[in-house]
Amino acid sequence: MEVMQKRTVFPVVFLRNAFLQPETSGLIMFGILFGITAFLQKNFFETKSIVRTINSCAPLVLLAMGQAVVVISGGIDLSSGAALSLFTCILTTVMKQNDPITGVYALLVTFLVALGTGMINGLGIGYLRIPPVIVTFATSYAWLGIALFLRPTPGGESVPWFRVFYNMRVVEGIPETLRVFGTYIPPALLLIIGACLLWYLVSKTRVGRYIYAVGSNIESAYVSGINTGKTQMFACLINAICIFLAALFFVGQNQTGDARMGGPLTLRSIAAVVVGGIALAGGRGSVYMAIVGALILNFVGRIIFFANIPNAYQTLVSGIIVIAAIAGPAYATLKRELH
Amino acid sequence: MLGAIPSTLFEKGRKTLVVLEAKGVRKYFGGVVALSDGNLRCCQGRITGLLGANGSGKSTMSKIIAGVYRPDGGEIWYKGRQVHYRNPKEARKDGIALVFQNLSLVPDLTVWQNVVLGMEKSRGIFLDDREAKEISRRILKRLLPGLDVSRKVYELSPGEKQIVEIAKAIAENPKLLILDEPTAALEQAQVRNLFAYMRELAQSGVAIVFTSHRLWEVMEICDDVTIFRNGATVAYIDFAREAKDPEKIVNYITGEAKENLPREKERLRERLSSETLLRVRIQSRTKSLQDGLSFELGRGEILGIGGLAGQGQSELLYALAGSHPKIRCEVEMSGRKILVRCPQDAIQNGILLVPGDRQQEGLFLEHSVYSNMIFPKLGLPRHPTLIPERKYREECMDVVQLLSIKLPGLDAPVNTLSGGNQQKVVVGKWLSFNVQVFLLADPAKGVDIGAKRDLYEYIKRLAREQGIGVLLYASDHEELAHYADRVIIMYEGRIVATLLGEDITEEAITAASVRVR
Repeated sequence: MEVMQKRTVFPVVFLRNAFLQPETSGLIMFGILFGITAFLQKNFFETKSIVRTINSCAPLVLLAMGQAVVVISGGIDLSSGAALSLFTCILTTVMKQNDPITGVYALLVTFLVALGTGMINGLGIGYLRIPPVIVTFATSYAWLGIALFLRPTPGGESVPWFRVFYNMRVVEGIPETLRVFGTYIPPALLLIIGACLLWYLVSKTRVGRYIYAVGSNIESAYVSGINTGKTQMFACLINAICIFLAALFFVGQNQTGDARMGGPLTLRSIAAVVVGGIALAGGRGSVYMAIVGALILNFVGRIIFFANIPNAYQTLVSGIIVIAAIAGPAYATLKRELH
Repeated sequence: MLGAIPSTLFEKGRKTLVVLEAKGVRKYFGGVVALSDGNLRCCQGRITGLLGANGSGKSTMSKIIAGVYRPDGGEIWYKGRQVHYRNPKEARKDGIALVFQNLSLVPDLTVWQNVVLGMEKSRGIFLDDREAKEISRRILKRLLPGLDVSRKVYELSPGEKQIVEIAKAIAENPKLLILDEPTAALEQAQVRNLFAYMRELAQSGVAIVFTSHRLWEVMEICDDVTIFRNGATVAYIDFAREAKDPEKIVNYITGEAKENLPREKERLRERLSSETLLRVRIQSRTKSLQDGLSFELGRGEILGIGGLAGQGQSELLYALAGSHPKIRCEVEMSGRKILVRCPQDAIQNGILLVPGDRQQEGLFLEHSVYSNMIFPKLGLPRHPTLIPERKYREECMDVVQLLSIKLPGLDAPVNTLSGGNQQKVVVGKWLSFNVQVFLLADPAKGVDIGAKRDLYEYIKRLAREQGIGVLLYASDHEELAHYADRVIIMYEGRIVATLLGEDITEEAITAASVRVR
């Protein structure tokens, strides 16, 4: 058939299509909020301030990336915050302040526990086919329970070198080159780059392709011969690794474990995913956009702080901004459904 | 009749390899016989056509071969050994590919990602995307020139999706390729491309099974045809030996001169004397139903809608019920113009739909019979705030007795009832309304014979005694022949034939449905 679809004038169509991409509105929103924050916060572009910004949003960025992988695979993780708390508690329980080698043990033990939590979620979601909301809601209480058992109140010990995950300059006994390197690139950024690298590699393999396929239409994926259970299990494992990285940062920063610190981050990570234009229905969106989503949420908080909005209205205003941020991707999705 | 299948095949003095041979295959769904004696032989390098009316068993046969269903009896031999596939994956491994009807595509992946989905090749640890793109480009260039393989599948038209589906099956390099009605969604030019490619594949040694409702397509592309009727293979025609005779094939499909069941001869007279109840004109913004299609329905008339499956019949019924987003209708009832913009408009005017998929659209399966029956009333304007429980229960009991619904009690969940009784509940929930027009979409699907007769007899009585109009779509043409006073045949969203009085026979309806070109 010779009929090529005749398209209307190129720039018009390009712009219209661009606006219908869920990513576009996220990036525009990011641009606007970035501008406002930079305007309100006088020292925004100073090195110190940039490092502070990265540090303040690192846990949310890492959690949101993990959450994004699970959401794209057709699931959702309501236990990520609790898992984060649990990992910090395990790290600080295994470590003894005066015995540097315990830090290595702690890393190993916690990494295995992280894989375990991912595996349990993946088992429920992928193989037992229990609705993800229910599986992860249940496991969130399990993780919280174990964390509270280990550490009823915030505290615990940490080896001093664990600070490398927060600020390399204050750690003694590490090579000078690493210390200099750490001065220029904050460890938090390295952790995020690590997570990005992990996803980049996965996305170039079969598993990455299948995560999208399963989330988009699980039945079609199944009849195409894809092992859907394994795929969703993998998504949960990647998520667990991202949460593990966030835990490293948190313990590096605070040198303590806290069974309740992660709780509020769960819903924020889901919000970041949505703001980043990733469809909660699965199969659509980019994991990297979850970073943008997390940054948007972080900027909302800053803007409210720097704009001197009265205490009583802060929550309301941040709610309105978040709704505006979600409206863009939602509209794009709606348009697509109608099409 | 089966003696017609030769035991060995010689073509130009060369023995042709039999790739697949199915003998006496049986399949039951619940108590319903889908296939009682399925026989099929596919040879290397040949295109075999499967023909038959709706529900004749040809689709079931294809799915059994591809491992989607497991047969309840009979033998299947593939490349010289007996096979028992438990799932499609096993069949695929052996080189049997079935083209699903838009079942296996993932909407959010691109065309090329879909074509290789499930059989991606890697180079090192990473996926080899370049080769995947090349494979899909090579295949799709033939089937759909001009398609950008980087487009997402959700953006494609139904026809394009169907072609990608076919490309996906071809990309597996199958030895036996089963195409189950691949042309239903395609345009003429696309069909030409497909046929050219099919011929080329056959020449390279692939055995192809091709199912279509369009007789001319089968006559054009196939080397031989196997014809199914009522779940059994009734004929095998090798076009190399026998002439392509459409009359003969239609006779095989419909079955020659069945004994005519006693029919009411007064139907025609009654129809002519009756006044017009409904005048309908369609304003359609979709291809599935022609814009401007119009028809009339008489008071007390049962108007049958026939034709092949999926030719716009259900869209027509949904539009009339106000439930189709892209189709509006101008409706004139007893000379008065009425607006049908949403289901509530239709219900208030007494236009009531019994949807085809009762489990999804007609019932709340986990809820009680009582709840299901009163749900439609609750949405009416001026419904009392408090539900008049006792009154409603009495009304429900009346309906249960009227339709002789067999149930343990009004509070039993609907899914504990048999299919026939469930369907009676769907019909029954409308009976306390002021019924003017009943829209029935395949009301007897999955309903046992007794309940089916009850249901149709009741609806006929309702039409005759209370003068309501009935629009009946049934994929089983026998039901239409039995109960309809007039039958319109639909094809690609248009009305292509109208049958009246003596002409309404199962054979005539099927013939009118398939002989359209």
